[in-house]
Amino acid sequence: MKFNYLFPHYLKRVGFVLLALGVVALMYSFLISNTPDFMDFNVYALIRQRFLSPVEFFSVVETNFLDELIAGLLILGLGLISFSREKVEDEFIAKTRLESLVWATYLNYGVLLLSVLFVYEMAFFMVMIVNMFTILIFFVIRFNWVMSKSKRQLRHEE
Amino acid sequence: MKNNIKIERARNNMTQADLAKCVGVSRQSINAIELGKYNLSTILALKIASVFKMEFDELFSLEKEDW
Repeated sequence: MKFNYLFPHYLKRVGFVLLALGVVALMYSFLISNTPDFMDFNVYALIRQRFLSPVEFFSVVETNFLDELIAGLLILGLGLISFSREKVEDEFIAKTRLESLVWATYLNYGVLLLSVLFVYEMAFFMVMIVNMFTILIFFVIRFNWVMSKSKRQLRHEE
Repeated sequence: MKNNIKIERARNNMTQADLAKCVGVSRQSINAIELGKYNLSTILALKIASVFKMEFDELFSLEKEDW
């Protein structure tokens, strides 16, 4: 069976490195500064809309790039960890991967639905930010939990 | 679907790792198939039958709940 939609196995390690850098940058933004001067850049924006202003297309925006960097590192890191092949990628692992993805999607949108109903104002904005990453986090946790359970079972069989 | 893989492995003096290597899957897969936790594909079933030099239906059989 071919698994063309997955990244090579060695990129899983790269994913862990990117995730670790993302977490360090996140800690920096929480503990030291969330808008450090050295991260002020002019960036190209496809779309922007300032408060109570019309939408603008294809403009240059001055922004603090730290939050973009954190989100980029977390998405790339979690994405590579989630979708890199195992050493031996076979149909059982593909099935576990698919089940974990379905499970993570249900859980993610279940939590989001509860948040829509019970979380308001700035707290809801925070939920939306965290929600960008939770589907991958739930997937990684569930997939690795099932894989480690089946490895434990192997040791038990021995 | 029931299978006799464990019995045939023992008869052929093969470990799960040996069989996994022969058919190109992980040991977890062979273990999950033997424990009936996972219904394998036709291709993998035919490969396993071929390793034991058996016919498909000598190694695998349907259970009532498969119908």
